[in-house]
Amino acid sequence: MHLKSISCRVFTTRWFMPLFAIFLGVALGGAQWIGGDRQTGLTTMALFVAIAALLVLGGRSETIRALRGDGRDERWAHIDLAATALSGIVVITAIIVACGWEWAHGRDGSPFVQLGAIAGLAYIAGLVILRVRS
Amino acid sequence: MNNDVRELRAAHGLSQGELALEMKVSRQTINAVETGRYTPSLPLAIALARFFQRPVEEVFHAPQVD
Repeated sequence: MHLKSISCRVFTTRWFMPLFAIFLGVALGGAQWIGGDRQTGLTTMALFVAIAALLVLGGRSETIRALRGDGRDERWAHIDLAATALSGIVVITAIIVACGWEWAHGRDGSPFVQLGAIAGLAYIAGLVILRVRS
Repeated sequence: MNNDVRELRAAHGLSQGELALEMKVSRQTINAVETGRYTPSLPLAIALARFFQRPVEEVFHAPQVD
C-alpha cells in the first residue's frame, strides 16, 4: 500500500490525535517528573489528557473534527497548510527577536541561534525537495 | 471565481450535506465553494461538474485573462 494513503488513513482517524496528545503528555510530563519536578509533570500530563478529552468529546464542531483528523477534506488541508505556515512565521519571528535580545545583552544567542539555523536549513531543504518532487 | 454550484444543487433538489456526501467533503466545504470563499481543487471541480453532467467551464467561471 502506498505510504501516502497509509499516512492519510492514520491522520484522518478520530483516535490518532487524542492518543498522540496523551503520548505527548506522558513523554513531556514524564521528562519533568524524571527531572525532579513531579508537580509540574503531573500538571503537564493532566493538561494533555484534558486536550485529548476535548478532542474525543468535542462533538460535531468543524474545528474540533478537523483538529482530531476525521473531519478533514481538501479545504481543511489548505487551512492546515496556511495555519502551519503562520505558526512557523510566528516562531521564526520570535527566534529572530530572541537572538537580537541575547546578543544585545552580550550573550552568544544560544539556543536561539541554533534554532534559527535549523529553521533556515529546514526551509531551504523543503524548497529543494518540494521543487524536485513537483 | 464565480460558480453555479448553488443553482445546480438546488435544481437537483439536494441539500449541501447531501452534495457533500456525494463529493466526500464536508458540508462547510460545499458552502465555502458556493459562496466563493474557497476555490476547489481541479479534481473536486471536475467531480462537481461530472455530478451535474456539465462541462467544468459551465459550472465555474474564471475571470477572462487578456
